[in-house]
Amino acid sequence: MTQMALAVGLVAASAFAVATFPRSVLVFLFFQGSLLFVYRARIPEWLRWSLLALALLVLMPVIGYYNRYYLEVATQVGIFVALALGLNIVVGLAGLLDLGYVAFYAVGAYSWAIFGSPHANIIFGGDSFPLAGWWFYVFLFVGLGVAALTGILLGLPVLRLHGDYLAIVTLGFGEVIRVLANNLDKPINLTNGPKGITPISRPPAPFGLPYGEYFYFLALIIVVAIVIVSRRLEDSHIGRAWEAIREDELAARAMGVPLVRMKLMAFACGASFAGVMGVLFSAKQVFINPESFTFLESIGVLAMVILGGMGSIPGAVLGATVVTVLNLQVLKGFSLWLNELKNAGVTVLGYSLADLPTQFEPAKYERMVFGIILVLMMIFRPQGIFPARRRQRELAHH
Amino acid sequence: MAALFEARGVTKRFGGLTALHGVDFAVDRGIASIIGPNGAGKTTLFNIFTGLYGADEGHVAFRGQALLGLRPDQITALGICRTFQNIRLFSNMTAIENVLVGMNSRIALGLWDVLSHSPGFRRTEAQLAARAVALLDRVGLQANANVVARNLPYGDRRRLELARALAAEPALLLLDEPTAGMTQGEAGALMRLLRGLVADLGIAIILIEHNMRVVMEVSDRVTVLDHGEKIAEGSPREVQENVRVIEAYLGTRGAGPRGARRA
Amino acid sequence: MDFELLIGIFPQVLLDGLILGFMYALIALGYTMVYGVLEFINFAHSEIFIAGAFVGVEILLGLKSVGLLDGLPWPVVLLLALLGGMAASGLIAVSVERIAYRPLRQAPRLIPLISAIGISFFLQDLIRLVESLWRNAFNLVYPTMDSLNLRFELTETIDVSVKSLVVIVGALLMLWALHLIVNRTKVGTAIRAVAEDQAAASLMGIDVNRIISLTFLIGGAMGGAAGVLFGVQYGLINPYSGFIPGLKAFTAAVLGGIGNIPGAMVGGLVLGLLEAFAASYLSLLTGGAFGAEYKDIFAFSLLILILIFRPKGLLGEVVRERA
Repeated sequence: MTQMALAVGLVAASAFAVATFPRSVLVFLFFQGSLLFVYRARIPEWLRWSLLALALLVLMPVIGYYNRYYLEVATQVGIFVALALGLNIVVGLAGLLDLGYVAFYAVGAYSWAIFGSPHANIIFGGDSFPLAGWWFYVFLFVGLGVAALTGILLGLPVLRLHGDYLAIVTLGFGEVIRVLANNLDKPINLTNGPKGITPISRPPAPFGLPYGEYFYFLALIIVVAIVIVSRRLEDSHIGRAWEAIREDELAARAMGVPLVRMKLMAFACGASFAGVMGVLFSAKQVFINPESFTFLESIGVLAMVILGGMGSIPGAVLGATVVTVLNLQVLKGFSLWLNELKNAGVTVLGYSLADLPTQFEPAKYERMVFGIILVLMMIFRPQGIFPARRRQRELAHH
Repeated sequence: MAALFEARGVTKRFGGLTALHGVDFAVDRGIASIIGPNGAGKTTLFNIFTGLYGADEGHVAFRGQALLGLRPDQITALGICRTFQNIRLFSNMTAIENVLVGMNSRIALGLWDVLSHSPGFRRTEAQLAARAVALLDRVGLQANANVVARNLPYGDRRRLELARALAAEPALLLLDEPTAGMTQGEAGALMRLLRGLVADLGIAIILIEHNMRVVMEVSDRVTVLDHGEKIAEGSPREVQENVRVIEAYLGTRGAGPRGARRA
Repeated sequence: MDFELLIGIFPQVLLDGLILGFMYALIALGYTMVYGVLEFINFAHSEIFIAGAFVGVEILLGLKSVGLLDGLPWPVVLLLALLGGMAASGLIAVSVERIAYRPLRQAPRLIPLISAIGISFFLQDLIRLVESLWRNAFNLVYPTMDSLNLRFELTETIDVSVKSLVVIVGALLMLWALHLIVNRTKVGTAIRAVAEDQAAASLMGIDVNRIISLTFLIGGAMGGAAGVLFGVQYGLINPYSGFIPGLKAFTAAVLGGIGNIPGAMVGGLVLGLLEAFAASYLSLLTGGAFGAEYKDIFAFSLLILILIFRPKGLLGEVVRERA
């Protein structure tokens, strides 16, 4: 009973607090913390999901009204949750350490970027591009398909590799895609190289929604769909086959699991999530270039899956949220806070912060964050914060 | 009529070492055991039968269908399943999930069924769960269905591996040292279970064993390998009295004992 | 097809290839030695390598600020930088092993690998942090030393800088020293024993943990030396410039046969030469359609192909799984 009151109270209080102090990062973290509490609290399911729905569908956009940046953060979280869920299938369920996952994201993004912008005219000649905005919805599925195909293409040569070697080869592929994206501006200009592609069309927003809100809701819808798909896959013979492959590939084979088909399916499914979000990303950003698709992003998504818990859907959601918020808000907030202290001439132990070297910007230390997360998790809690729990099946008794 | 399972002239070399040399083996029904000192090539033979290794020479056929060159999962789909010498369970999955994986080759659902939770999917999943529970029941593990495999005691793990192999609905079961590490009592219980399976399900079983008492009690036929060659075959009594077999296990006069663990 | 041009640039390309090759060989040694004793890819080795470069540049900049850079004879200066870089890298490698790998030695293989990736990223930003605070800059340039930039002629058409020769000779000396250590000393024998069979080695009375630390020390030191030479040769370094050479050196180690020390040397040289030739001739042969930027893809594609089709490399051995 008290937990119910607490849940409702925390959500209401934190939402109100954000509206009152829209610039405070800590208050926004408090709001997110309250959502985490609602997720884990011992309260009736109907309350849990109504509160979460209320928070995500109503409160979040309202918060966005007070501080547009928070809406942007929420949308980014949505994108990375989808990516983490995709990588979770490949790494968490099937046990295939893919270090080049960002390549699927890139493929999806470029597919819409090329056809949804005038760039395609350069490739094909003529004047028929960009495609009209509503083609975006079609391309959500095109991106899904192209990424899945890329996943299969990646999966085919690495079928017989394991562990370390698989990781390195996928890393190599990721790098190859990046270099290609950077250099395929001649002889045919496919990707426009480092200059990137712009302007990318956006679909007409329904109900005249501003684009910030539109992409937030769209990301939310896609994430919900992906969560449902993930759960259905996990709790089926396909998910069990993947886990068997992860546990003991030889035994899985001997028990009749068709390795090739299952591994390729894992790559394809995982890649497809990234492909869909890639399309959304390129429409949202209006401009993409190879810089958004580097090894750093692949490792970032890996850190999210590891932090949350390999093979765990709630884990992937948590991991993506924590890492994205860490990078977009905490580090950045720390940077801003440090600047304020510097400008105010604050001293620490006799050392004036204004004397801190200008090159020191905490916001840039994402790699350190990823690195620390990965190492600490591996040493202290390799199963993640929300470990994959074995489903306790209900069985009829004999 | 062709025997259920037939292997002729199977030869396997690893580099310079000939692990198996022209081995013939056939089984049609009941329980056939393969025994021999360590290193005789018994597990290698199993690996060839189940497609984990290729063979350099020879023919292997199951229900008339040639097996050499097929992949392990294809062989399982045909109706042969096995357990492993070193127990290879899916450690982080529960007992019932292990058994469910064993049924993989018998499932006719596709990706779309899974994503849409089609009626076919729901029906099949229910049937699978029921069958899995029945199998666990048969081996005496129904109380531990939801226990993660790596937390099961040793004897239970061996029985779980058996249940998982049975899940593939095999006509032929290959068991690699299923009683290793068991007490006499447990081993006896397992043998009664196996005889029950033969009687109820009509499957044939090939057993690799070191536990002589078990082998002699439960087998219909015994084949003896030594250094990659078949040196004897026949009923348990015949094999026990065969001079070459005794020499293989105990050594010739003057040489020391080699290999076999006695019950 | 301008054959004269193709032939004319050949000696220079060959030289570039050798320099690159020796550097890859030095870095590859770190990967291969660690893989030999632990069957583990030390992902963080690329940062251990670049850390050596940074320590080297700090030493040189330090000498410069007290006016000794041109005051001392250049071999002494270089030696100081090299020793500093080697010591620092060796120490970092040993620490990393103790902190991030040793606790995970019994865990399934994915786990230490992920830890190594984490350390790699951590070190990149750690170097950035240290340099930002110390020098307010993390893109650093190796100070020029005039004596190194002298060029002299080998033949009529080929001239070579002292710098290039120094890098090549330096690398050769390192490789020779390593060869002596591994093959002629008791310690080296112990390392080889642990690489063959850890359990048996410990039963022979070898302190396996100590040997593993030593392996990291030596491999790290080689990487650090490569780092200093890298800085001397190419001038500009930043905390992230270890990643690509590291990946390529790993390719070289695999090419030669991972775990095999002479293999790492051979692999390094082969890769360096192949890459130099690809970089120079690719654009000439394709009329500019594919230029030197693709040389990175070249190395990665080679890596992928080797791992798929011949994972034991040129000199390595196959590992088989028993059922």
